[in-house]
Amino acid sequence: MSNLSKYQTGKIPTWCSGCGNFLLISGLQKCFADQNIDTENIVAVYDIGCAGNMADFIHAYGLHTLHGRVVPVAMGVKLYNPKLTVLCIGGDGGIYGEGLNHLITAARANIDLKVFVSNNFLYSLTTGQTSPTTPYQAKTKSTPQGSPLIPLRAIELIKKVNPKVFAKTATNQKPKELFAKIKQAMEFKGFALLDIETECVAFGKQLKQ
Amino acid sequence: MKGKVTTIKIVGPAGLGIKTSGLLLSHILLEQGYSVHDYSEYPSLIRGGHNTYQLSFSSTEVKAPFYQVNLLFSLAKNHFQPHLAEMKSKSLIFSDEQNPKVKYLPLEKLAKKAGNPVFKNTICLGVAVFLLDLNYSKSQKTLKNFFPKKVKENLKAFQLGYEYASKNYSSLKLKIDRLKNKKGLTFNDGNEAFGWGFLKGRGDFYAAYPMTPSTGTLHFLAAKAKEYKINVRHAEDEIGVANMAAGAAFAGARSAVGTSGGGFALMSECISFCGITEIGMVFYLVQRVGPATGMPTWTAQGDLLFYVFSGHGEFPKIVLAPGDQEESFEFGWKALNLAENLQTPIIVISDKFLGESSKTTPDFNQEKPTINRGKLLDKKIFKGFARYETKYACGRSYRTIPGVKGGEFLANSYEHDKQGFSTEDPQKATQMMEKRMRKLKTALRITPKPQLYGPKNYQRLIISWGSTKGPILEAMKLAGDQKLAFLQIRTLWPLHSEVKKLINQAKKIIIIENNQTSQLTTLLKAQFDFKPTKKILKFNGRPFFPEELYEQFK
Ligand SMILES: Cc1ncc(C[n+]2csc(CCOP(=O)(O)OP(=O)(O)O)c2C)c(N)n1
Ligand code: SF4
Ligand SMILES: [Mg+2]
Repeated sequence: MSNLSKYQTGKIPTWCSGCGNFLLISGLQKCFADQNIDTENIVAVYDIGCAGNMADFIHAYGLHTLHGRVVPVAMGVKLYNPKLTVLCIGGDGGIYGEGLNHLITAARANIDLKVFVSNNFLYSLTTGQTSPTTPYQAKTKSTPQGSPLIPLRAIELIKKVNPKVFAKTATNQKPKELFAKIKQAMEFKGFALLDIETECVAFGKQLKQ
Repeated sequence: MKGKVTTIKIVGPAGLGIKTSGLLLSHILLEQGYSVHDYSEYPSLIRGGHNTYQLSFSSTEVKAPFYQVNLLFSLAKNHFQPHLAEMKSKSLIFSDEQNPKVKYLPLEKLAKKAGNPVFKNTICLGVAVFLLDLNYSKSQKTLKNFFPKKVKENLKAFQLGYEYASKNYSSLKLKIDRLKNKKGLTFNDGNEAFGWGFLKGRGDFYAAYPMTPSTGTLHFLAAKAKEYKINVRHAEDEIGVANMAAGAAFAGARSAVGTSGGGFALMSECISFCGITEIGMVFYLVQRVGPATGMPTWTAQGDLLFYVFSGHGEFPKIVLAPGDQEESFEFGWKALNLAENLQTPIIVISDKFLGESSKTTPDFNQEKPTINRGKLLDKKIFKGFARYETKYACGRSYRTIPGVKGGEFLANSYEHDKQGFSTEDPQKATQMMEKRMRKLKTALRITPKPQLYGPKNYQRLIISWGSTKGPILEAMKLAGDQKLAFLQIRTLWPLHSEVKKLINQAKKIIIIENNQTSQLTTLLKAQFDFKPTKKILKFNGRPFFPEELYEQFK
């Protein structure tokens, strides 16, 4: 029996309606079901942020880590027990900002982790400040005069770090393609990073001004 | 005379093999049955500067290196100068220079004869073996095992030194007590001893980022990783180190990290994470002189309060301080047991002096400590399992690891309920905090108790912790005071009630620490009314020597 509900905790998600994280969680759960992975063999590691708040909603072994630290925690799990399916879920702030060195290291190691970044170009849980992917000059709560930094192009960076890893971009605008890429990432043998561009319905409007 | 201690020192610029030849001499003594304790000083440089290696040995156990030197070998001109204060009237200095203070030893000439100027150190060994009247062929054998490469040249240099000494120094031979060969002894520094404790305690995940003086354990375990089939990982930074080890512990590893104060500063966020998620792992912290980069290769006990109060928020944490190499081994495996038993972070404190000084110890490889994995469900769960169940009086709840069906749970850095789901409910938050904190009380039953040395009816009581143990015990031997005892606090957090009881029985209290502010005084004062009569504090990067403490005990 493979059904979606066995990967659900039954908790009602706390995201805004229309938030892109709904699509990511259903894509992940569908992929688990399609591949029929037992819940006890999944370890999902979550960052702090709106994306990381998925922790309460997926039924599996889980670690809701500190901000920025998903990747090393997941590496520890995977190094110790390579049989487990280990994934990381977090935002652009945690994974490309606070924890970028860890991401680069995991890519260099080409360790079999699946990293899903819900890239909303903002720090959303903290109510909308600039993040490593915020467009140059975009006005946010912490950069009312415009963001002084050029955005980080994480996928290009990781591809440069290690061309052998899986590093791709997806968008919430195209759910079908997104689901297919989630599947590709999960099936990839080695390190996989999927950057999912999404719009924060609560704080994303500032970026369009 | 039985128990007489002899001290030998080799000094010179870095890069001349001072430590190597010193260690070799220690092994020669060890293999001829002597008890040895060494100590070396070196600057944070690769070449040049001034390095020293000294060893104290005796036919009975030597618990600390002594200050006063019997034989000093200076491998380069003038390098003996800083050590004149360490010389007694009959002490001898050997150097390749004409100076009324030294015995002329033509190192340059002899080394050339041996075929290479780098053999100056081995020539000194030949001289030492002659002066100490050690067994020549046994010493040769030790040397052969020590230098698998360049054996021939080294043997030649050794012989030249020995012959030169027998021709020129035959009246200078030292009187040392002879003894029969003892077996089963090895020579380990504190970092290796901790490494052995980790291996024998079935530690199977060790992560570190090189930082003097903790790196010895990383090197030791990395070299053993294949044989023992364990993970040893040099991670990208100390933040990665700690979080990786926490992930491994969550997955079922007996996990530890090693660093010094600066590295631990980066880990202090993670120790708090381990506290709330109840991930048990060991932090092996080898202090050096701070603040900041400080004096990397020198010893200190300046991080006690930082370690005890590390991490944001309130959570149970156990802090152990081994006092010698044997305890570094013992606390190595015990800490792994405690980590799994109490499901909380365990700190083991060492320092440069203990971590990098070697001593004659039992062969740790032969030890078989008991392994305790606590309330671990690694096969199946019971009905009603909840990872963070709060009903147990001891504060410990049952734990599963990935792969165990039905045991899925969330290790959550947010406050959580019994299943691990986030909660901000005031009642649940109170219960969960209290559950975790009850483990501190449980810890008092199973952590190393304070140890009293000396008479039970003491009047004066020395209180200390960590690596000062050896120098204190040797100084007490020198003092021979029947009313002087020493209380070694082995678990610094939580504190056992015996500490207060034993302190209250003393008329006078002497506190000894390698720091400036007497951090142990601060810690004890926070627990009960405490006023030491005298504080002996040293914070210049050097350990205490028995002689200087003895002077202070008078
Ligand atoms: C060490 C630390 N610094 C800061 C924070 C506060 N914080 C929580 S979430 C967050 C940023 C989240 O941004 P992102 O990772 O992009 O996730 P999002 O909320 O956008 O999904 C920050 C700065 C924290 N929890 N820990
Ligand atoms: S604030 Fe933005 S990212 Fe967070 S839940 Fe709402 S829409 Fe999603
Ligand atoms: Mg974001």
